[in-house]
Amino acid sequence: MDTRGYFEHTFIYLKRFMDLGRNDFDLIMPLLELRTYDKKTFVLQQGEVDHHLNIVLKGIVRKYVIAPKGEVTIQLATEGHLVQSEISYHKLIPSDIILETLESTVLVSLHRNNINYAVEHFPGAEQLARTIVTQMFIKKDNRYREQLNISTRERFLRYLNNHPHMLQRVPQKILASYLNIKPETFSRLKHLVKRK
Amino acid sequence: MVTLLRKYLGQFVDLSDEELGGLMNEIEVTSYDKKVRLIEVGDVEQYLHFIVKGLARKYFYKGKDEVITQLAREGELICSSVSFFSGKPSGYIVETIEPTTFYSLQKEKLEQLYVRFPNLEKMSRLIITELFLQKEHWELERIRYSTKERFLRFMEGNPDLFQRVPQKFLASYLNIKPETFSRLKHLLRNKKGETTPAK
Repeated sequence: MDTRGYFEHTFIYLKRFMDLGRNDFDLIMPLLELRTYDKKTFVLQQGEVDHHLNIVLKGIVRKYVIAPKGEVTIQLATEGHLVQSEISYHKLIPSDIILETLESTVLVSLHRNNINYAVEHFPGAEQLARTIVTQMFIKKDNRYREQLNISTRERFLRYLNNHPHMLQRVPQKILASYLNIKPETFSRLKHLVKRK
Repeated sequence: MVTLLRKYLGQFVDLSDEELGGLMNEIEVTSYDKKVRLIEVGDVEQYLHFIVKGLARKYFYKGKDEVITQLAREGELICSSVSFFSGKPSGYIVETIEPTTFYSLQKEKLEQLYVRFPNLEKMSRLIITELFLQKEHWELERIRYSTKERFLRFMEGNPDLFQRVPQKFLASYLNIKPETFSRLKHLLRNKKGETTPAK
C-alpha cells in the first residue's frame, strides 16, 4: 500500500469515532506520521517515555509488561486498533510497558505536541480526542470485567470466534498470556476451535 | 462542599468562576442512606456522581457473588461509567456503603455545557483519561504484584478505607479470598508494631 492508501485507511478508522469530514481530516493529515517496523521490533522499550498515540494500519503490535512470572501480554493491536503506553504518555514517565511488533508493521502516529496543537486549533478535535479516550476506557473496562466474570473456556471461545485469524498470526503462548490462560489449558482448548 | 469539587476539577483544568457557576447550576445535590442502590444492572446510567460525603461501591454479580470493581470516597467520582459513556444498559450496580451525599450531573446537561463552555469538554476528556489510567494502573498492579504485595500496597495507600470499608468488600475489590485477607491482616498489625518505636 502507498502513503495515500495508508492515509485513506486512517481517515476511515478515525471516522469510526465521530462524523469526520474530508476537510477536517485534511487539517489533521499534516500532523500524522507513518512509521514502519520489521517484525519483532520494539516500538517502545521499557524505560522510554511514550510520546505517541498510534493506530495500527498493518501488522500487529503486542503490548506487554514483564512480571515476576514472565511476560504478560495486555493487548494485541491489529489493523485499526489504537495502541500506546498510556500511563507513560499521559504522566510523562518512563514506561513499564513494552510495545513490540509481531509482524512487519505500519503505524500512523500522532506526537503529543501535534495532538495538543490539533485540540487547540481545530474545531471538533477536542470531541474526537474525547471520543477516542472514551472508547479506550470502555474497551478496557469490558476486558477487565470479562477476565473476572467469564470462565476460561468461554473467554477462549469468545475471543477466537471474534478473532479467528489471530490463531494463525500470533504465537500460542502469547495468545494464552493475553487471555490469561495457562499454555497447557490453551492447547487443550484448541480442539474446540478446529472442529468448527 | 463546592471547594471539594473545585479542588477535584482543578487537577484537570483551571475553571473560571463562570464555568464553575455554570456547572453548579446543573448539578443536583442528593443524599442517600447507606446500602441504597443508585443504579441496577440493566438500567442505562444517566448520571455522573461526585461524592461530597460518604462512601460507595460499584459491583456486578458473578453467580451469587458480588464482585466489587470500585470503592469511592469523598472527592471521587462514581457511576456505571461504561453505561454512562456508551448509553448501553449497565452491567454494574452502584450502591452506597455509608450515608452519602452526591453532586450528580445528568449526561444531557453535561453535553449542553460543552457547547456553552468548551473548557468543560476538555475537562471531561481529561477526567475520562484519568479514569482510564486508573484502570490501567489497577490492571498492572494485579499482573506485577503478588496477593500479599497488592494487599500491602493498597492498605498503605488507603489506610482510611481499611477502617471504613467492610473487610469482605475490601477482599472482593482486591480479588483476594476472604480467608486470605484475614490471614494477611496480621501483616498490618506487625508493621504498626515495628514502626512505633522508631517515632
